[in-house]
Amino acid sequence: MKIVYTDVLVIGGGLAGLRLAIGAKRRGHDAIILSLVPAKRSHSKAAQGGMQASLGNVAKGQGDNEDIHFEDTVRGSDWGADQEVVRMFVNTAPKAVRELAAWGVPWSRVRKGDRQVVINGQKVTITERDEAHGTVAQRDFGGTKKWRTCYVADATGHAMITAVADQAIADSIPVHERKEALALIHDGGRCLGAVVRDLTTGELLAYVAKATAIATGGAGRLYRSTTNAVICEGMGHAIALETGAAALGNMEAVQFHPTAIFPAGILVTEGCRGDGGLLKDAKGHRFMPDYEPEKKELASRDVVSRRMEEHIKKGNGAKSRFGEHLWLDITLLGEKHIHTNLREVWDICHYFLGVDPVKDFIAVRPAQHYTMGGVRTTPTGESPTLKGLFAAGEAACWDMHGFNRLGGNSVAETVVAGMIVGEFIADFCDRAENAATVPVGLVQEFVQREQAKLSAIVDRRSGEDPSTLKLEMQDLMTSCVGIFRTGAELEKAVDGLQKLLARSRNVGVKSSAPGPNPELVTAYRVQKMIKLALTIAYGASVRTESRGAHFRSDFPRRNDAEWLKRTLATWKGDSDTLPTLDYEPLDVKRMELPPGWRGYGAKDYIDHPETPARAALVEGAKATAADRFALQQSLMPYEHLLPPVLRGRNERIDEPF
Amino acid sequence: MADGQALRKLTIRILRYNPRVPGDVPRLQDYEIEEADGMTLFIALNDIRDRLDGSIAFDFVCRAGICGSCAMMIDGRPGLACRTLTKNLGAVITLAPLPVFELVADLSVDTGKWMRGMSERLEAWVHVKQGEIDLKRIEDRMDPDLAEEIFELDRCIECGCCVAGCGTARMRDDFVGAVGLNKIARFRLDPRDTRTDEDFYELVGDDDGVFGCMSLLACHDVCPKQLPLQTQIAFLRRKMVKQGTLG
Amino acid sequence: MDLAQSASGLALGLFMWGHMFFVSTILISKDAMWAVTKFFEGYFFFGTAYPGVVSAVVAGVLVLVMVHAFLAMRKFPANYRQYRAFTGHRALMGHEDTTLWWWQFLTGFALFFLAAVHLYQMLMHPGDIGPYGSADRVWSGRWWPIYLVMLFAVELHGGIGLYRLCVKWGWFEGKDPAASRKRLKTAKWALTVFFLVLGLATLGAYMKIGYEHRDLVGERHTPSWVVPDPKEKAP
Ligand SMILES: Cc1cc2nc3c(=O)[nH]c(=O)nc-3n(C[C@H](O)[C@H](O)[C@H](O)COP(=O)(O)OP(=O)(O)OC[C@H]3O[C@@H](n4cnc5c(N)ncnc54)[C@H](O)[C@@H]3O)c2cc1C
Ligand code: HEM
Ligand code: HEM
Ligand code: SF4
Ligand code: F3S
Ligand code: FES
Repeated sequence: MKIVYTDVLVIGGGLAGLRLAIGAKRRGHDAIILSLVPAKRSHSKAAQGGMQASLGNVAKGQGDNEDIHFEDTVRGSDWGADQEVVRMFVNTAPKAVRELAAWGVPWSRVRKGDRQVVINGQKVTITERDEAHGTVAQRDFGGTKKWRTCYVADATGHAMITAVADQAIADSIPVHERKEALALIHDGGRCLGAVVRDLTTGELLAYVAKATAIATGGAGRLYRSTTNAVICEGMGHAIALETGAAALGNMEAVQFHPTAIFPAGILVTEGCRGDGGLLKDAKGHRFMPDYEPEKKELASRDVVSRRMEEHIKKGNGAKSRFGEHLWLDITLLGEKHIHTNLREVWDICHYFLGVDPVKDFIAVRPAQHYTMGGVRTTPTGESPTLKGLFAAGEAACWDMHGFNRLGGNSVAETVVAGMIVGEFIADFCDRAENAATVPVGLVQEFVQREQAKLSAIVDRRSGEDPSTLKLEMQDLMTSCVGIFRTGAELEKAVDGLQKLLARSRNVGVKSSAPGPNPELVTAYRVQKMIKLALTIAYGASVRTESRGAHFRSDFPRRNDAEWLKRTLATWKGDSDTLPTLDYEPLDVKRMELPPGWRGYGAKDYIDHPETPARAALVEGAKATAADRFALQQSLMPYEHLLPPVLRGRNERIDEPF
Repeated sequence: MADGQALRKLTIRILRYNPRVPGDVPRLQDYEIEEADGMTLFIALNDIRDRLDGSIAFDFVCRAGICGSCAMMIDGRPGLACRTLTKNLGAVITLAPLPVFELVADLSVDTGKWMRGMSERLEAWVHVKQGEIDLKRIEDRMDPDLAEEIFELDRCIECGCCVAGCGTARMRDDFVGAVGLNKIARFRLDPRDTRTDEDFYELVGDDDGVFGCMSLLACHDVCPKQLPLQTQIAFLRRKMVKQGTLG
Repeated sequence: MDLAQSASGLALGLFMWGHMFFVSTILISKDAMWAVTKFFEGYFFFGTAYPGVVSAVVAGVLVLVMVHAFLAMRKFPANYRQYRAFTGHRALMGHEDTTLWWWQFLTGFALFFLAAVHLYQMLMHPGDIGPYGSADRVWSGRWWPIYLVMLFAVELHGGIGLYRLCVKWGWFEGKDPAASRKRLKTAKWALTVFFLVLGLATLGAYMKIGYEHRDLVGERHTPSWVVPDPKEKAP
């Protein structure tokens, strides 16, 4: 048995994992990154539109600051987020952009003088300030009050991960590519590494570490139609769940993106709408203003997606052989804009749809896009129930997105979380009591257990077919746990998934070839995926309210009185057929922004009993505070939660030091 | 293809070889599938794997032409399989793994290892100025045009098509390839990188670097991101000659 | 080294253009060719012909060719594996510029021998150059097959080489490199064809003259303006 030792084992080579490893390494701890694919091919690469940070450089972003970013994020989350974590995040995001700028990300920059933009279907001239010339530019994105999204044309994630991965190479951090973590090694209370399968040779290895971090990204492939990469199968979520000790938070919160091209599911960025693109129906009518007169196309994603599906249900969808869809019209942005700022979009339309978005409409329909739920951690990124296990990025739930994350907040989160958790993980390793004693027996036991599971699958030549199981699961999730949910459908999903779970325990493969064996990969992953699917479906069926992306047609109101709490799911026993759900209340009395109306979507919600009192207190504080910093400090101090190196205000053109 | 028109039968001919199976030899294997509307090689290959043969190895990640995982030889030319529509190809489509890179199995090759090696050798990262970057301060300004120029070269997805398409790279193992030369051109442009032409000359001023390139230009012609490799290599060559002769 | 290779290639390429024009003067008339020959022998400068001048020029060109060939050799496949890698690659890819290089390599390889022989001949017998001397060599000396091969080789090689020079150093790139590359390629083919036709015609002319002159091998051309005086031989 081969054992690899390191201080920090980072599972996942996306933006979150890379940045976290750099943090730990720069503090003097050895780090190894595991990844299914070369790090730069991780799904962070796919982020197009941009990264939110309240720099306030562009004219339309002037006056932006952490406070506004904070409010946008909390409203976006439908008050599901942990407000302290959001504060940590919004304060670090500008630092993250600036760090990336220094590392070589070619951020699009502000050009002084006049320029033409399209706002709300109208051509408008904006004049950029001279003093902003050459600073990082921002564009408009859904759910934000100011133009806050920093971008690199529409290949932001690509440029970001290229720069961060390059810095990881500069720091000599090894990335063990084509290696998949199959299980976490733990004794029920302390995590000590992972059992890993080499996807080239097929052999199993053990990695033993003081601290293990899950940064494995999303789980979009639980759905049939998703914008996620094919490797986003939620394996990090699953191995945490299978410990029985770590919990997954808010798994029922699944985001659907309004504009995935139809039927391939490939995303065209929110930047299309941010830059002025419009949604139209079969008749060519712009329908969003009918539903959302204020934010129109730029309401938050959950709202726009629901409105689109609603509009299709009313019979307004364009029909095609594969079903119905709507149109995204960016022709009004003009050829030059599309060829420079929306180049990826042009590529995608050209190569996958065979249309030219300069002249043609783009066929779109909402598709699964983002997994708000993840491994539950404290604001330091550590699991409260499994010591030595950390999580960051999309796979984590520390919980800054609540029930809906805003566009552009996710790549920002990955880097910010990497910066913050990287420091805390280094602190953890610094502490003498956390030195890992190598429990050889335990490691051996875990490797053997995983080997036995794989052997059982390979030996079962006439078992269930893995691809069939996966397809059935994806179909169930898409049809019954989608944008609109009802009790009856969710029950059907839970029921169906439980049957699939039973069948998956009998999965077999035809090929026993050594090496990668892709069929075997599908087989062992599908077992885990069905468990995750159940966690989502079951959580959704129990939550009898609508919040953020979780929308119950039978309970359309947000219900703070009963449901202002976070779902925690654990999988206690191997033979269980359902997760165990617990709930963690959110404390209204400590909220800087007490629950209210989001500013878009339904105005109808049931208040928490403590909300009015807290709201009054906050209003009072606003009237008396000296400045915004003092007000913030008085309502919800958070700076002590940040690592010392990341504390401090951010300089802006309008807020000089 | 419009509705009603007869759908083609496609023969996908795949070069199969799993070096980990003792005694396995490279062979071509044919798979017959029915073409569908808007079918890409991503859809076709997954269809084959799901229905006909679960053992074929190939790599897809983003399936949207942005991650660079799925480069393979499509009818003899390197290209991204995920964004190749079958309707643009003949009824018999031959697929083979990229040459030059280490073979994993079938259509899957280890481009990651090669790219990491290249990056380490060329120190392909921004060499940040000495001293701490002050994250609280407004970022250094950069001319918007320059930012765009850098981005233009930063768009490389390390897919390896340019390497697989290059006769020089096929002959000489140590040649850095267009991907490497493009990286140097990119960092050379970047004012945040502290290196000088002297440093770059050390890295690529030899026959494994820019002077090894024989201007075959296949790199330029196959690059799926349409990077201006021809111009960039020529430019770099001029600069490096200047550096090499004038110091 | 790359610079030296390109410079020598460029010099040779341009030299060949000149060379083709000189040699083809035979198409105009024997006198023209004679004049050019004598020009090179310094006749018009010194009043007498010193074939040694030609030898010197030839020696210079020979050095240039050697330098160029030596430098270019770095790019050759160094062993059978590389050779196979390239041929297989070229055949499968069907990529034009790659294939062109392959021709450049093959023709360069052929030229290495052919040019050496030709230059050696010129070096040793510079005085034999002239309308009849050359024609006799071509026909009666049975040089024409070699010249034929060499002509094709050098025109392909030189043409491709000059095109490659342009893309290699980014000359004539203009605003739209893709379009200029297309233009360059067209120009390259046009030049190659032009010089091939010219060369073939020239070779034909030498062959014709040589054929007609086959019985008088050794006789030298006398410019028609020189008063025929059987005693006085043309220089
Ligand atoms: C199409 C698209 C566009 C987007 N656009 C934006 C945008 O404009 N702005 C924005 O803010 N957000 C955007 N997002 C969301 C954002 O890109 C992701 O949420 C974020 O990049 C996730 O980063 P990550 O580091 O957490 O994970 P990823 O980048 O997904 O990385 C996961 C890593 O984990 C590895 N891994 C997974 N499982 C295992 C295992 N079992 N063992 C070992 N390694 C494993 C993978 O190999 C990979 O390296 C977009 C998402 C999509 C799908
Ligand atoms: C003596 C035999 C010769 C050999 C072996 C030879 C070989 C080669 C080879 C292999 C190349 C390609 C080099 C590269 O790709 O970098 C080349 C380039 C070239 N050759 Fe030759 N060649 C010979 C003679 C000639 C002659 C007589 C001419 C003149 C017509 C010529 C003109 C060129 C030119 C212009 C180039 C392009 C230079 C460059 O790419 O830098 N060569 N030669
Ligand atoms: C200074 C050097 C050179 C001199 C003086 C010279 C001279 C001549 C002369 C006089 C001829 C006419 C035939 C003959 O007399 O045999 C000839 C033909 C020819 N030479 Fe050269 N040559 C030189 C270099 C070269 C080189 C370097 C090449 C290419 C590798 C070359 C290629 C040819 C060819 C292809 C022909 C045949 C032309 C035709 O048929 O149109 N020569 N040369
Ligand atoms: S330069 Fe082009 S072909 Fe080469 S690796 Fe980069 S994207 Fe691929
Ligand atoms: S194909 Fe190869 S030889 Fe040079 S121009 Fe491109 S790197
Ligand atoms: S799968 Fe990402 S480029 Fe093809």
